[in-house]
Amino acid sequence: MTLEAANKELEKKYTKLVGTAASNMCAHCGWCMEACHVYLASHDPAMTPVAKAERIRRVYKKNHDWMSQLFPAWTGAKKLTEEELDKWVTLAYRDCTLCERCVVNCPMGVETPQLIAAARAALVAAGKAPEILTQLADMAISREENAELYKDFFLEQVKEIEKQLQEKLRDPEATIPIDKEGADILYVPLSGLHTILPEAILFNAAHESWTMSMFEASNYGVFLSDSAKSKRIAERIINEAKRLKVKEVVLTECGHAYTTLRWEAPKLFGEPLPFQVRSILEVLDEYVREKRINLDPSKNSEPVTYHDSCNLGRKGGLLEEPRRVINAVAQDFREMIPNRLQSFCCGGGGGLVAVAEWSDARILAGKPKADQIRKTGAKIVVTSCDNCRHQINELNEHYNLGITVTSLSELNVQALVIP
Amino acid sequence: MAEELKIVTTLDLKGLVCPIPIVKVNQAIKNVQVGEAIEAFATDPGVLGDIPAWSKTTGNELVKMERVDKNFRFVIRRLK
Repeated sequence: MTLEAANKELEKKYTKLVGTAASNMCAHCGWCMEACHVYLASHDPAMTPVAKAERIRRVYKKNHDWMSQLFPAWTGAKKLTEEELDKWVTLAYRDCTLCERCVVNCPMGVETPQLIAAARAALVAAGKAPEILTQLADMAISREENAELYKDFFLEQVKEIEKQLQEKLRDPEATIPIDKEGADILYVPLSGLHTILPEAILFNAAHESWTMSMFEASNYGVFLSDSAKSKRIAERIINEAKRLKVKEVVLTECGHAYTTLRWEAPKLFGEPLPFQVRSILEVLDEYVREKRINLDPSKNSEPVTYHDSCNLGRKGGLLEEPRRVINAVAQDFREMIPNRLQSFCCGGGGGLVAVAEWSDARILAGKPKADQIRKTGAKIVVTSCDNCRHQINELNEHYNLGITVTSLSELNVQALVIP
Repeated sequence: MAEELKIVTTLDLKGLVCPIPIVKVNQAIKNVQVGEAIEAFATDPGVLGDIPAWSKTTGNELVKMERVDKNFRFVIRRLK
């Protein structure tokens, strides 16, 4: 039954992009090898993108390529077996973080992550996806369905955070509005104080018209490659934004949350969203350019480097915004080499950071990033993705990097001049 | 008479943020017997929404959620 469900899902995922990646387009040139952080860290040929893709590609070939159907031994085409499906769990969820660095380095533009995502979807259909990712996705859905379980307690805590905000800004009028209809911005944090207080300070300092979401931006349905759950989780924010009639939704520093709502949601829902979607990075860049907040870069005098989240940078296109902001709030900004489109994944992407049993593989895969950080000599690493932040914090501990990991908002708050 | 609650594990989740508290609670609950409980102390307000929702979806019982000094204390009983 599980094999049948997996095969059925693989066929459902046979889109143009998957089809192209699954075709004979891959020239097996090997350019993707050096692009993959997992291969660079392990030097295991099975970890090259081409080798990983081939294990899924050969199943598609068996079903869609006439040559493979006639002469499977020539093309390596194979039917999916239960045994292979079990092996796909680590292939799809551990050995590839969907960072897409192989795609930008492939001369043929083969979308290997599309194949990996199709394999993830097949594993979801077969009930073989990592338990914790499923639990985190279900938890997000349950937060909306059972809001009465925690709403009062949560609102009480927001009032506590508000006191810290007022103290920091020396302004008793500073607020964290919830459920404010007609605000310009619906800000969606993560499930954590570190994505509430800094942004609340900056929104208040800029006299922004804003309200904060009751929900968290992260969407574990995306990591699972479970379209139904991704849609359901995104829908909570979309419905809240519609109900409050906001002009735009601003997402906190979270890579996959941004690509999901900014780029994927219109496809998932089959229509454009009735509001603008931006990352807090874009808002901070606007504040800096329009001088809406008073910043003093001498307050951040230690060397700073920036880690491009794959989702925000390579996939999302937010490459210059964070750099403009850092240059405005810090004195000594140093780039990692390579950066921007060629930035290495930190090793914790694609949901991997939540799967405790694979932490050794994740820390090993983060070695290229750890080496990059060390070479900059930076003492502060800024990253605008919470998964990257978790991972880089662990890399710091494991590889003794001697750094502090922070977010762009926190770095801004550090430089904020409070009258 | 209410069944006595046996807390067999105490988790220190202070300073941790999502998803790590849930990852650790999920690991810990597997190591206790059905009917036994774990307690967890956390500091991040994110857990206030996450732990009740996680308990509900995984079929475990959130017996208590309270504030103890500057921490949040949760008691979760394994039900299956």
